[in-house]
Amino acid sequence: MQIFLQLVVSGISVGMIYGVIAFGYQLTFATSKTLNFGQGEALMTGALVGLTTINFLIGNHFGVSVAFILMIPVVLLFGACQGSVVEWLGVRQAIKTKSEAGWIMATIALGIIFKNLAENIWGRDALKFPSPLPEASLDIGGIRIQPMEVAIVIGALLMMLAVEVFNRTSIYGKAVVATSNDRDAAQLMGINTGRVITFSYALSSMTAALAGVLVAPVTLTGASMGAVLGLKAFAVAIIGGLSSGLGVVVGGLILGIVETLTGFYVSTGYKDVPGLVLLLIVLSVKPSGLFGKSAIKKV
Amino acid sequence: MLKIDQLVASYGKVRVLHGITLQVKKGALVALIGSNGAGKTTTLRAISGMLRPQSGSVQLGDAEIAGKPAYEIARRGLAHSPEGRRVFPTLPVRDNLELGAYPRLTGARTKGDVAADIERMYELFPRLRERRGQLAGTLSGGEQQMLAMARALMLSPEVLLLDEPSMGLSPKLVEEVFATIARLKAAGITMLLVEQFAAAALEVADFAYVLENGKIALSGEAAKMRDDPAVRAAYLGGGH
Repeated sequence: MQIFLQLVVSGISVGMIYGVIAFGYQLTFATSKTLNFGQGEALMTGALVGLTTINFLIGNHFGVSVAFILMIPVVLLFGACQGSVVEWLGVRQAIKTKSEAGWIMATIALGIIFKNLAENIWGRDALKFPSPLPEASLDIGGIRIQPMEVAIVIGALLMMLAVEVFNRTSIYGKAVVATSNDRDAAQLMGINTGRVITFSYALSSMTAALAGVLVAPVTLTGASMGAVLGLKAFAVAIIGGLSSGLGVVVGGLILGIVETLTGFYVSTGYKDVPGLVLLLIVLSVKPSGLFGKSAIKKV
Repeated sequence: MLKIDQLVASYGKVRVLHGITLQVKKGALVALIGSNGAGKTTTLRAISGMLRPQSGSVQLGDAEIAGKPAYEIARRGLAHSPEGRRVFPTLPVRDNLELGAYPRLTGARTKGDVAADIERMYELFPRLRERRGQLAGTLSGGEQQMLAMARALMLSPEVLLLDEPSMGLSPKLVEEVFATIARLKAAGITMLLVEQFAAAALEVADFAYVLENGKIALSGEAAKMRDDPAVRAAYLGGGH
């Protein structure tokens, strides 16, 4: 039982990361019905820019914790810029011409380019990311928890909560929701929906970049860290439903926990299988996702 | 206030409007009537920028707005309550109203007192006050229609385009909608009204245009048109 609980706790922090990235997929899907398939790369570049920033700050005699906090706005800004670039280069034209698949290829291509750039700037090796919190595990009733794992869960939830509060209370957030509801009607309200879509891409990459610097101290960072995370988070977005914020959190947790359990009780070699099997099951039983509303096309 | 000259618009390769010319004077209520498929909705869409016109001119006040994006046209003070209501279903009634005032709340248009205007909408449509916290998607058809009109009014528009405000409503609600339109007219709001209930539209309007196959077939003062036997036979179903 002790071991089981330990595995669940470890699964939760991994799952929250999946959840945050999947949340990013939702943000752009809501406003534009398109996704950034380079979302994993947005996480990776965010983490590496964070690494360079934090090392620079530490080199200038800042403590690790202070440096980590000072680094976050830099990473958020970088993520926002990167997302805007992806929307501008890869998506805008496809939306304008109502292309069905152009944005898919374009965002994948941009993801590969970002990965290549990162390999050339930071190398191909996995790098150690300074941890702002003690790396020694806390012992809570016999279950070991790394402080950074707690920080991941709190950071991820805060980020999603912040977006939710923005959407519900500010007029600009309401404009984002209106654009998600009905793009044409939103235009009639005087909302520049093109700009709203750019904004949702910026916000989406921002959440990914933040997820990157949250997970980096626990794992390692490097040019190849994003691909698998991006793919799994995509599975989570499908499992949880592309329209439900709660869905991706629950979907992420399910996947994270199932993975760690499989890794221990079956074999680490099969760690990736259950999540994908789950994805296949959900797709065949409830294609709109566990929490999604089914899309009924009205004629 | 609104001056349309030789407006031409198409859906894909199918030309729907073949050069529409019409005018709405400040403070006037102008009705645009005609059979299904005559191009009434398309005319409104081409005016508000939902559909990009191919040629022709649309003047709002002194400014040429043809071909401009819809959001910019809205910011200049043209409100369009579209066909099918198109309220924002996942947002509460109050937020829908607030979004109607988006250009005022974001500095693109004179702000005025938005909260007071929302209050005024609740007075004009008491049902909306009862439902203010409810998601717009859960409202009845009639309530959604009131919300769509109220949301458009929240712009404090120079001109209001109303597309089939009576569509899908019970006879009693239709009466209510027309009573509201009459009240808005009395308040001095400039309106272009598209209606299937031609008789009722001619009852409230000052001036009317009859659209036929994408062209203006007839125009004149609403009162005169109402009494014209030819118009009655062709568009008012003879009866009333």
